Amino acid sequence: MKLSLCSLVTMGAALFTALPASAHHSFPAQYDIDKPITLTVKVTKVEWTNPHIFIYGDASGEQGKLQDWAFEMGGPNALLRKGWKRDSLKADDIVIIEGSLARDGSRLVNARTVTMQATGRKMFAGSSGGDEVPAAKPKP
Amino acid sequence: MSVALLPRHTAVVAKSSVLALLTLLLAAPAAAQWVGYPTANVPRNADGSVNMKAPAPRLPNGKPDLSGIWVPSTPGRQVNGEDLVSDGDDITTSPQMANLGVGIEGGLPYQEWLKPIVKERTDNLAIDDPHIRCLPDNFLRAYGLPHMLKYVHTVDLWVTLNEMNAGYRQVFTDARALPEEPNPSWQGYSSAKWMGDTLVVDTIGLRDDNWIDWNGSVLTEAAKVHEEITRPDYGHIINKVTVDDPKAYTKPWTVTIKQRIVVDAELIDEICLENEQFVRLMKQEK
Repeated sequence: MKLSLCSLVTMGAALFTALPASAHHSFPAQYDIDKPITLTVKVTKVEWTNPHIFIYGDASGEQGKLQDWAFEMGGPNALLRKGWKRDSLKADDIVIIEGSLARDGSRLVNARTVTMQATGRKMFAGSSGGDEVPAAKPKP
Repeated sequence: MSVALLPRHTAVVAKSSVLALLTLLLAAPAAAQWVGYPTANVPRNADGSVNMKAPAPRLPNGKPDLSGIWVPSTPGRQVNGEDLVSDGDDITTSPQMANLGVGIEGGLPYQEWLKPIVKERTDNLAIDDPHIRCLPDNFLRAYGLPHMLKYVHTVDLWVTLNEMNAGYRQVFTDARALPEEPNPSWQGYSSAKWMGDTLVVDTIGLRDDNWIDWNGSVLTEAAKVHEEITRPDYGHIINKVTVDDPKAYTKPWTVTIKQRIVVDAELIDEICLENEQFVRLMKQEK
């Protein structure tokens, strides 16, 4: 895996300012900050586990309808401190997830926000990339 | 002892006490839960905000009490250069987390053998990092990571509880002699003494290849770590750390690590091995 200097600089800037409590591993090592994605997801499973919570579900979005997506979030301690509860999400819930795609092209997303479609409630997901929308990377 | 076995008057008092306790517990507000549990004895300003510059609490022997929950001080959580108190939902890394020598001109003075190793680890974004593999973080590294550290400080002992992997470190503050042949460990053996209001901690007995930052800088079995720790006020801890490790570095080096207080929060275990997937996914990608 080759990463540009810009990626490293971006990572460095993030590290010095706002890498959040869920930073178990390097965000740019696994996810592409330049591949934002928003999907509407029907939840099939929630793994409320350390070091990262995973949501699994079937999604629809710009890429059409695809099954078996995985969404990485922060750990339980980070999400509990953000107001989540263990049962905040359940199978069959419909949510809108904003995040960044994995570098490897798989249907893996680092979730930044999760919005409950039924209530409109939007919550941060404890992303290892931070809560803020990533700034566009400068062109090399 | 059950209440039934107590003398009558004692039993009445005990029953009353139990009832009073139950009443208090049942009357506790909804906010008094584990997450967000109010910290006791927090000095506050007139507007209710935490007075970060209030005097540090003291131990029974008059020395500063390091007890409390601490996270890294970081420019991203400062206003006009002053640290904000943390409520546990704003934990960020130290500026030294990626590179402990970031403030040292020329960086850490690596021995020649270590330079290519650190370069490789930096270039590959630390995918071989023991932290990612759910192994313990030694105390130097833990100071900069975005995980809560809880200090429990008594006259004779200073214990650090790390919510990451439910780790701990013991520092015996009775100035005991360090072991002559320590068994190498992740946290080593630490003994401390007071010099005025500064707690001076010396540590040896660390294991080889003990990562101290995300770039992959290390301590070895030869390392001697000297810490001079102060709590100048309620909200801050300042730790001047000197590392003398001739196996890894060409000369001793010194860095200053700062931490800020967390209030109204508690540790919540983060046991990394529960469901670690990063390593597996990265190996698949390779």
